[in-house]
Amino acid sequence: MRLYSVRYLFSEGVKNVWKNRMMSIASVGVLIICFILTGVFTLLSISIKNTLKSIESRNTIKVFLKDQVETEEAVNLESKLHEIDNVASCRFYSREEAQEKYKEQLGDIYEQMKERNFLPHSYYVTLKDLSQYKETVAEIKELPEVDIISSRVELFDKLTKFNRFISSVGLVLTLVLALIALFIITNTIRLTMYSRRQEISIMKSVGATNTFIRIPFIIEGMVIGIFSAIVASFSLNVFYNFIVESVRKNISFFYTPVLHNLVFYLLVYFTIAGIVFGVIGGGLSIRKYLSKGVYGK
Amino acid sequence: MIRFEDVSKVYPNGTVALEHINLHVKKGEFVFVVGSSGSGKSTFLKSITREETPTSGKIFIADEDISKLPKTKVPFLRRKMGIVFQDFRLIKNMNVFDNVAFAMRATGASEKEIKNRVPYILALVGLACKEKSMPTQLSGGEQQRVGLSRALVNNPKLIIADEPTGNIDPRMSYEILELLNEINKMGTTILMVTHEQELVRKFGKRVVEIKNGKIVQAAA
Ligand SMILES: Nc1ncnc2c1ncn2[C@@H]1O[C@H](COP(=O)(O)OP(=O)(O)OP(=O)(O)O)[C@@H](O)[C@H]1O
Ligand SMILES: [Mg+2]
Repeated sequence: MRLYSVRYLFSEGVKNVWKNRMMSIASVGVLIICFILTGVFTLLSISIKNTLKSIESRNTIKVFLKDQVETEEAVNLESKLHEIDNVASCRFYSREEAQEKYKEQLGDIYEQMKERNFLPHSYYVTLKDLSQYKETVAEIKELPEVDIISSRVELFDKLTKFNRFISSVGLVLTLVLALIALFIITNTIRLTMYSRRQEISIMKSVGATNTFIRIPFIIEGMVIGIFSAIVASFSLNVFYNFIVESVRKNISFFYTPVLHNLVFYLLVYFTIAGIVFGVIGGGLSIRKYLSKGVYGK
Repeated sequence: MIRFEDVSKVYPNGTVALEHINLHVKKGEFVFVVGSSGSGKSTFLKSITREETPTSGKIFIADEDISKLPKTKVPFLRRKMGIVFQDFRLIKNMNVFDNVAFAMRATGASEKEIKNRVPYILALVGLACKEKSMPTQLSGGEQQRVGLSRALVNNPKLIIADEPTGNIDPRMSYEILELLNEINKMGTTILMVTHEQELVRKFGKRVVEIKNGKIVQAAA
């Protein structure tokens, strides 16, 4: 195809969007919602995966001893801990040390605690092999002196389950939204085609090829798709950064990474999706009109 | 130019529109197709433009059997002909120039070619000064001249016109016929369906009469 035809067909496609602007706006709206929801679920899933990774990579676990364990007993536990294969090192924190450490957070309670320190003795245990994480945590728990372990195993499990849930909900939602978006785009383009049915029949009578007739409508779909992709990308980027900020402040364990070039990736993926939607939508909607006669009655 | 060999057309609903048509139209001929309403004239033209495919028989256009032409080749067949409609088929929101240019754009012509060709054709049909007019600002005769320009602009060897004067008054009809006659003199083959006996008599061209799907009179 020659350059001037490309230019002509492209401008016809853009004109279609404008001529049928009410429906175009509706399509863009639905597509944006579709993109944003899909994006939110994807980003959420990515964040959970990152959190999982960061939990895994923190090879230090906190072992709290039972209240009644006396200081001497507690100190002696070190050798027992070292007997466990997967333990690389351990450091003892007495309840007094803990009290000093949390002085600030404790505030008024700090003074009361001078009389009775209810903080337990604890150990910081570092592991050698992270893949043995769960097993080692279980083994340490077996020790009679040990009360609770802030091992994050439960959190890990919960997050893993949650992630699975989010992923499948996200997938279903994305598919449903994609179908809705496709339906809307197809109907938008059908409407444009309806308003241009006479032109289509004239084009056929003068010998325009089906491809040539089809292209402006595919471009119409693509323009809608690309425009939605751009708006959705930037909105989602702003939204994500806002979420990251507030999560940082409020939920310390939840690891929401700053995704560099997020806009760029969103743009790329969404634009590709938008183009695919446009092409399929445009292709689907024109069939009816191409099979109609030149006389178009 | 056009050859029908034992062509029959039965519509899916069982209507027999054409029956064993044999006809030869030579290059450069001007043929009037006449017959009463429902006799099959439009079907005859539609089988030339491949709007309809014959149920049996062969149709040759420039020695190519178009009854078996694959769908993807139909647009290229249509580029060899210009079609004129009874109801003009102009695009309401395009001016005269763009209506004519539309046929060129639709077949991938460049703007430069369009700028050269469209004014030339409009001058040929006497509408040089109406380039910017909208179809609604034109008389029926003028509108049909725009329709004719659009059919001519891609330089076809054949003009197919189904009652081109059916919607315009007799004096205007005569002008359109004069124009077609001029175009025919330049070597373009013309096939025109009409109900107007007077025009047929006045121009004294070859007449093909169709009656109940059969050719009853094919002089020359
Ligand atoms: N698409 C169709 N399906 C079924 N029957 C059709 C179709 N088109 C035309 N016919 C029938 O075929 C016959 C011939 O129709 P055609 O349109 O060729 O007639 P015509 O000579 O052009 O008539 P008119 O002078 O009124 O335009 C008529 O009986 C008509 O009802
Ligand atoms: Mg007819």
